[in-house]
Amino acid sequence: MTLEIEHVTSGYIKEVPILMDVNIVANQGSLTGIIGPNGAGKSTLLKTIYGYLRPSQGDIFHDGKSIRGLKPDQMLGQGIAHLIQGHSVFPAMTVEENLELGGWIIKHDRKTLDRALDEVYQHYPLLKSKRRMVAGALSGGEQRTLEIARLTMTHPRTILIDEPSVGLMPKLVDTVYEEIVKLKELGYTILIVDQKVHKCLDVVDYIYVLRLGQNSHHGPKEDFVNTIEDVIKEWI
Amino acid sequence: MDLSIFIQLIVLGLVRGSMYALMGVGLSLIFGIMEIVNFAHGELFMIGCYIMYFMAAMLGLPFPLGILASGVGLLIVGVILEKGLISPLRKKAGREWLMDSFVLTIGLMVIFQNLALIIFGSVQRGIPYLVAGQSTFGDVVFIYDHLVILSLAFLTVGLLWYFIKYTSLGKAIRATSQHSEAAQTLGIDVSRMYAVAFGIGAALAGISGALLITLFPANPNAGMGPVLKSFVVVILGGLGNIKGAIAAGILVGLLEAFAVFYLAGGWQNVIVFSVVIAVLVFKPAGLFAPAGERP
Repeated sequence: MTLEIEHVTSGYIKEVPILMDVNIVANQGSLTGIIGPNGAGKSTLLKTIYGYLRPSQGDIFHDGKSIRGLKPDQMLGQGIAHLIQGHSVFPAMTVEENLELGGWIIKHDRKTLDRALDEVYQHYPLLKSKRRMVAGALSGGEQRTLEIARLTMTHPRTILIDEPSVGLMPKLVDTVYEEIVKLKELGYTILIVDQKVHKCLDVVDYIYVLRLGQNSHHGPKEDFVNTIEDVIKEWI
Repeated sequence: MDLSIFIQLIVLGLVRGSMYALMGVGLSLIFGIMEIVNFAHGELFMIGCYIMYFMAAMLGLPFPLGILASGVGLLIVGVILEKGLISPLRKKAGREWLMDSFVLTIGLMVIFQNLALIIFGSVQRGIPYLVAGQSTFGDVVFIYDHLVILSLAFLTVGLLWYFIKYTSLGKAIRATSQHSEAAQTLGIDVSRMYAVAFGIGAALAGISGALLITLFPANPNAGMGPVLKSFVVVILGGLGNIKGAIAAGILVGLLEAFAVFYLAGGWQNVIVFSVVIAVLVFKPAGLFAPAGERP
């Protein structure tokens, strides 16, 4: 078990909790998906895990260690990376500078940083050929690739992904999900929050359904293949 | 045109222009990363003037020490202002931040001016020269002070350029100004970057004030002229654009020098502000904005 969310209650204002007593486990090396209707608290959950919001009750463990109360900029140091919604490259900086900033927390260890850069270039030859270009000049899909590659610079254990297909051309959506599956195959633990229920169901191993800020259903992907339409109908 | 006059005007223009560039770069850096239009930037310049006067005239120390002290002093003042006032207010302001920052920095401007008036009075406190003397090549007169100001200003801008472009802290500052949320997920302490950037912007204003004490004596209103010009520079160069601010600063300095000589004193403002209006109408993202960029 890599990431455990235990009895978490959280929200923007103390009197108005958005999440109530939510329990989620993301297993080592697997792809866990969180789906739910609008307003179910999916984004609030990611914000709470990554330290933008502090849970008022409950605890969050990563590798058995509590990460409750840590700030967002301390998370990568704990081995948790976060692919945020929408485009997040530094557009006026080169591809290589973007990748180097992915290694910000290991910047004093130039050797490890250079090795990580080499590895990324081996995995993503496209980025190597465009390493002197400013990131803003890349296509939408290439920028997503850069964003994903940038997260792997420090070899985190867990990657949180928020709505991977938002803001992308429909043509590129499949490519992005392929990249995410590749990350899983490399051994990363992945927690993905997604509106595109069917896309998400294609790639994940385990599903949690959130509804009105609470756990609604959960189970391995196979349990949902036939019942997903019924689950969605419940939302409407 | 007489070549010697031409060279003389270029030097004069570059001296003023290098100050505008220093001020404008600081203003631009602060706006780029924190979205603050710092109306108190001129008062940071003014504090730099007083530190220089204190070090060089009252303590009689060599002038490079005065410049260094102004830079370091304003770096500290900048970090304290950011941590003590700007940062707490930004956390409370949310979406109203731009308006709140206007009120805050205009308030700081008034407070600093009046504090200086109470503490130092309205007397002008200047220094006649940093390095005495001049040389003549043909018909061209080089005042040593001008050469000192020019070379130190270029050295400062060069160091800043290197810092922003090549050091990892500089890259983190740029990353924060381009996408602060992404920077944070990569482990960059964004609030620290704000403090560093504000401190550096303030230090540049302080160095500028110290360098120009022979032209602008220290007094409570010393910053009013320079801050107006640095806003001009930032509009011409494009808000948040460091390269643009350097180029625009030098351009404004040169425009002024030539306007004063060929038209008359006073005309330089007419020319410069006409250019500003033209730029705002036809190229609102600034003269040096990359193609397609919007303000």
